[in-house]
Amino acid sequence: MGMKRWLACLLGLLLLGGCAKSRPIDQIQIIQQMGYDFKDDQYIGTAVYPTFKQGPMTKPNMLTTSSPTVYDLIPRLSAKSALPIEEGQLRLILFGKQFAERGIEQITHSLARNNKVGSHLFLGVAEGSAKELLDITAKTTLSDTLYLPNLIKQNEQSMNLPKTNLHLFLYRYFSPGSDPFLPYFEKKGGFVKLEGVALFRDGRYVGHVDLRDSFLMKILLGETKNGVYQLKVGERGKQGEDRVMLQNLWAKPTYKWRRDGDRHVLDVFVHIHASVRDYPSWLDEPGANLFTDVKKKMEKELEQDMRRLFHYFQEKRIDPMGIGDFVRSVTRRWDRESFYREYPDLDIRPHVTVDIIHTGIGE
Amino acid sequence: MKQTLDERFLISPFLVFFIVHATQVGVGMLGFQRPLMEDAGQDAWMAVLLAGLATHVLIWLMYRLLAYSPSGGDIVSLHKHYFGRWFGGVLSIGLLAYYALAAFTVLQSYIEIIKVWMFPLMGAWQFSLIFLMLTYYVISGGFRVVAGLCFWGVVIPLATIFPMMAFAFEYAQYRNLLPVLDHSPTQILKAVNDMAFQYLGFEVLLMYYPFLKNAPSSQKWAHASNVLTIFLYLVVILISIIFYNKEQIAHITWPTLTLAKIPEVPFIERMEYIVISIYVLVVFPNLVVAVWAMARVVKQLFSIRQRRSLPVLIACLFIGTLFFEEKSDIERFIQWTSKSGLFLIGVYIPLLYVYVWVVEKVKKSLQQKQ
Repeated sequence: MGMKRWLACLLGLLLLGGCAKSRPIDQIQIIQQMGYDFKDDQYIGTAVYPTFKQGPMTKPNMLTTSSPTVYDLIPRLSAKSALPIEEGQLRLILFGKQFAERGIEQITHSLARNNKVGSHLFLGVAEGSAKELLDITAKTTLSDTLYLPNLIKQNEQSMNLPKTNLHLFLYRYFSPGSDPFLPYFEKKGGFVKLEGVALFRDGRYVGHVDLRDSFLMKILLGETKNGVYQLKVGERGKQGEDRVMLQNLWAKPTYKWRRDGDRHVLDVFVHIHASVRDYPSWLDEPGANLFTDVKKKMEKELEQDMRRLFHYFQEKRIDPMGIGDFVRSVTRRWDRESFYREYPDLDIRPHVTVDIIHTGIGE
Repeated sequence: MKQTLDERFLISPFLVFFIVHATQVGVGMLGFQRPLMEDAGQDAWMAVLLAGLATHVLIWLMYRLLAYSPSGGDIVSLHKHYFGRWFGGVLSIGLLAYYALAAFTVLQSYIEIIKVWMFPLMGAWQFSLIFLMLTYYVISGGFRVVAGLCFWGVVIPLATIFPMMAFAFEYAQYRNLLPVLDHSPTQILKAVNDMAFQYLGFEVLLMYYPFLKNAPSSQKWAHASNVLTIFLYLVVILISIIFYNKEQIAHITWPTLTLAKIPEVPFIERMEYIVISIYVLVVFPNLVVAVWAMARVVKQLFSIRQRRSLPVLIACLFIGTLFFEEKSDIERFIQWTSKSGLFLIGVYIPLLYVYVWVVEKVKKSLQQKQ
């Protein structure tokens, strides 16, 4: 009797195991990139999905639809798709500038709830329309359906772009002491170019900084190992003859919050270990120790640029560097309101130390 | 009246280490951070520590109490001994209701997670049928099988899920821990109150105490187990504090599962699905031990064999899952379990201990007078 009963149970388990819906890859539409635009009082959603051809070749394809509300976009895309749409493999969400200016709170909250998308999802802002940009990448790339996500990843890992992804975006968005930022793209002819960092205040796009400034953001945000920065070190007239290219090997910022009379002062100490690979030939003069001089100039210029950047943030009343969060960590009973009332007039003083580790294999 | 159990049914004292830990850690581990950080922010880890220390005291108290029970029996025989057949029986039925509530809550809250994360279209009954059939299978094997299940329910998740936590350090914001002690004692105590529920589960000891070989010697293992539980909760809350900020965590239902979204390995992109799947091994002992305790209370109380009562109890649980599927229902059940569990362990057991202690004292002095 026992044997038969257990067999019946086993059979039941197998039957129940079949209840879950399996989804073969060629029978679903895997969205990899999604674009949101706002144009003529309509929201426009663009989905990029790969079609699997024979072998490893995949071709990016696009679906576009418009709707008066944001939430309605994916269902409306479904109405144009023969296969069910899956968003589990989403790698990039691109917002058109107009859309971002109207605020991306709705999408942000929806993403915070969505368990299907991963935390490594990238978000970004396109200067014109997101649709146009996705269109270009779909056309110009042959088989790489993840052109833009790879572009972001590459620039975060080896160049000037500070690290961003869905987790970090939500972290900065919800944090009372910081504002989020995202990579910023522009259309340049038939190509897409990373142009810097788009800045947000409470989920609304308010401006952007270029890639040079995003290097400063990157080293001010925390320990980093990458990025390049061109600096002017002399007055030798000829174009390019007075610049050095600094490559960051390892940089670490330290913040100090103190009171100076009736004002608060924020000291920012940045220590950069750098290599200088490209520098003008006059620096090579044997015997003369020009590099100590150049180092001082570099430090001075970096400090000035940082001051300018902080001023820009203060003017815009945004805090992408998370200064509020830092001050919270060193203040008991930190009060958000009063801190940000004081923020635009905050005295922020950068102090930069550059250590030139090496200058390549030649002298 | 009461015969001690045959030695072949008993388990080694050190296995208490696995049973206590397996019953303490459950679905709560996936989402305990939220209410805690709402109350105490970055000081939530203190609440975890304080609640854990309180648990140590209660474990000690439970062993003291059980030492009074006649011929190494469980709490049901203790009730009978001190309160008589009827009133003692009523108290034991209260205990039965609590175990039933606990089993039901565990079942429901895990099914909810599976439905939200993995199979949104599946009905609750399909999962609960599978789980309850497995529960029946394990319990009909006897308490030694239940203990074995607890062993694997501790070892496997500890070896697989726990190391994944380290991936979150990539996003660590250590300044989130500062300033230390920025919350008032009342806020922290409120968080301790929330946290205490997460340590519950060890009270099943009241039922399986007679199954321990040389039971009093197992106390050190119960304490060691609680130390491991405190350590795990502490690690998870500290990682959550440096990974999330207070406002962000308010938007996340299961912060631990969202943490598991971070590891990225080439052959599998979304680790949280692996975590949820392995988590069956964490949740299942919770359910099995609670249902076993129910059947045990029934047996001790009404002398009904477990083989007969078990199918009825399991059927009741199954029918229950058909009726409560909404999130608000599940939350209400969690509230009830939490409240009644805290009452049982924080109020009833100490009072019972005091009562038993006084009765014994009076008896002794009377005997001495005679």
